[in-house]
Amino acid sequence: MSRSRSTRLSLAAFAIALTMPAFAQDTIKIGVITDHVGGSKFYAEPVTRGIEYGARKINESGGVLGRKLELIIEDDQNKPDVSAAKARKLVDDGVVIFLSTTGSPSTQQAQTVSLETKTPQLAPANGADQMTTALDNPYFFQTGPLASVQLATLMAYTRKKGFKEVAIVRDNTALSQGFADSFRGGLEKAGIKVALEEVIPQGSTSAVANLQKVRGAKVDAIFQAGISGPEMLQFFRAYAQLGMKEPIYGSYNLSIPAYLTMAKDLMEGVIFADAFDPDRPDVKTFLTDFAKENSGGPAGSLEAYGWDGIHLVAEALRRAGAPDREKLRAALQGIDKFDTIVGAKGTFWSFAGGKRAGFHPQGAVIRVVENNQHGRVLQAGQ
Amino acid sequence: MNGRGVHALGWLAGMGVAIGLAFVLGSYHTDVYRKMLIWVAMALGFNFLFGVAGQIAFSHFAFASVGAYGVVILSHQLGLPFGLAFVLAIVICGLTAFIVAIPATRLEGFYLALATLAFSQLVRVTIDEGGALTGGTGGLANYRLPPFFGVDVRGPWYTVCLVLLVAFTLWILTRVDASWFGRACRAVRDNPRAAEAMGVDIARARILVFVMTSTLAGLAGIGYAYVDNVINPAVFSLENSFLLLFMIIIGGSGRHVGAMLGAVVLYLAPFALEPVAGNHYMLVFGVLIVLAILFRPDGLAGLLRITRPGKAA
Repeated sequence: MSRSRSTRLSLAAFAIALTMPAFAQDTIKIGVITDHVGGSKFYAEPVTRGIEYGARKINESGGVLGRKLELIIEDDQNKPDVSAAKARKLVDDGVVIFLSTTGSPSTQQAQTVSLETKTPQLAPANGADQMTTALDNPYFFQTGPLASVQLATLMAYTRKKGFKEVAIVRDNTALSQGFADSFRGGLEKAGIKVALEEVIPQGSTSAVANLQKVRGAKVDAIFQAGISGPEMLQFFRAYAQLGMKEPIYGSYNLSIPAYLTMAKDLMEGVIFADAFDPDRPDVKTFLTDFAKENSGGPAGSLEAYGWDGIHLVAEALRRAGAPDREKLRAALQGIDKFDTIVGAKGTFWSFAGGKRAGFHPQGAVIRVVENNQHGRVLQAGQ
Repeated sequence: MNGRGVHALGWLAGMGVAIGLAFVLGSYHTDVYRKMLIWVAMALGFNFLFGVAGQIAFSHFAFASVGAYGVVILSHQLGLPFGLAFVLAIVICGLTAFIVAIPATRLEGFYLALATLAFSQLVRVTIDEGGALTGGTGGLANYRLPPFFGVDVRGPWYTVCLVLLVAFTLWILTRVDASWFGRACRAVRDNPRAAEAMGVDIARARILVFVMTSTLAGLAGIGYAYVDNVINPAVFSLENSFLLLFMIIIGGSGRHVGAMLGAVVLYLAPFALEPVAGNHYMLVFGVLIVLAILFRPDGLAGLLRITRPGKAA
């Protein structure tokens, strides 16, 4: 072998050796927009924990398409303008999809980026109905329980109670207004009069005046459409302070475990819509495994949204056959009957028929707070 | 070269760099740059109101929302030609500011702050409850900047528009500041009684400065409306009004360069700190603000005075 040839072979071997780790470390980048400092932190972080746990388990079982999933997590402070900026950062970083776990306005504003850059975006836990209707964005998918589905499930449960007049209490956030609008529409359709709608503005230090009005209206029940933690804490404090007895019905927002700490012992008997049945065997396994393998407290429904969200992405990637944004979008759109931890038993997520809100219409459940815990399921589906 | 020539050259160089950035930045940095420019424009106007004229008002973002919602509703919801909608949105801002200014500017200090806080809440509630017209708490999306005189203003050219917005705001405020009216505003801020004795019509000065800066805020709001082609009430929150106040204090109250420095530093700081400080970056951000207030009471602009003794920036 001539000297020049051996040099060339050595160089080639060196080049291959250099590139080998690059291939081995080649990952599929997935973006996550969360909130570590803003008003949606208390639900965005648990959903993100579920995504991280899910990605870790997927990677432990070999990844997707022979590659590991790499999460790139950005904080949007729950500010819509920052959320859009962070979405652009993720797109620049080369993600094939990004998951939004923060508030509805932030997720909505980030949609302009997914639409413009043709990058799929998934909101695994957002429940506002207008997310897929305000903007005709074929790259945006939503799997949170829609407010309208929650309301329909609550209505099905309350129909037999024979309510004549009720009150709606909400805060002034976008999602809360969406819930309240859905509640009002459904209640009026069911022939139940909404005697008054009280708004507890963000930053309020008391809700006594609001609830005094509710008490004065002598309603049969209170539909609680709030989603902002501090204001809803004021609601429960005022309710207890005034010694009120009207039954409270709430959205899936009340399934956030932080409420049980913030409003400790103030929520007994509260009935709420949820998308989580802790008695399902597969859910029990998920909760046990999560508690075993993660620090920072046990999982609940929020972690499950994240877990299901990242598994949905993994499944779509497998079907796409390549980490290509356009193929991934098409694969997501083609997903039908995707089994989830979230939702009532026997339900699934589906985007069949061109839908982009994948939560099952029978997926919501009705639960009750018992002994300061999110208790048993009273009703599954509508 | 005389002083005026140097000044003009400085403007040209600054504009050149600011416009040049529009063509070299990537998608993410362009987005951050555009939003930073909106903050700079807002800070310049608020600095004149608070730092030069001494009015503590928290209505700046409310007027930005009037401008943003005004132009989007008029042009996209009601179908008016964009040019007309643009002008009308500015007129609405000016008129609203005038109506608010007449009673509000008779108040001083914290009473004015409270009155403008109440006005901000009123605007917020109006937007929240505005139904399909304002999009409620979800805001408005699904609109785009229409071609302007046949020209499609997209990509870096829209960033250039925002640079021009900042330049226009700075130019108008420096001109006004250098005029008798600017001196009258400073006199009213420092000693209203002395200013009145010298012939300054205090009420007129306060109303004029409130209307001017609020209209400029509305103009910045119009600029913001087309950055992401989405507007929602959360962006015009009181939280941002307080951040604006911090920007002026940290930058150097009463100085245009201070307002710009404060806006740039405080807007970019969370983006810069996050990769360094992890999830605790807002804690570090808060500590830095406290340190800046403690050790640089004259603001970041004061640093320029140290490096250039005897020169006002």
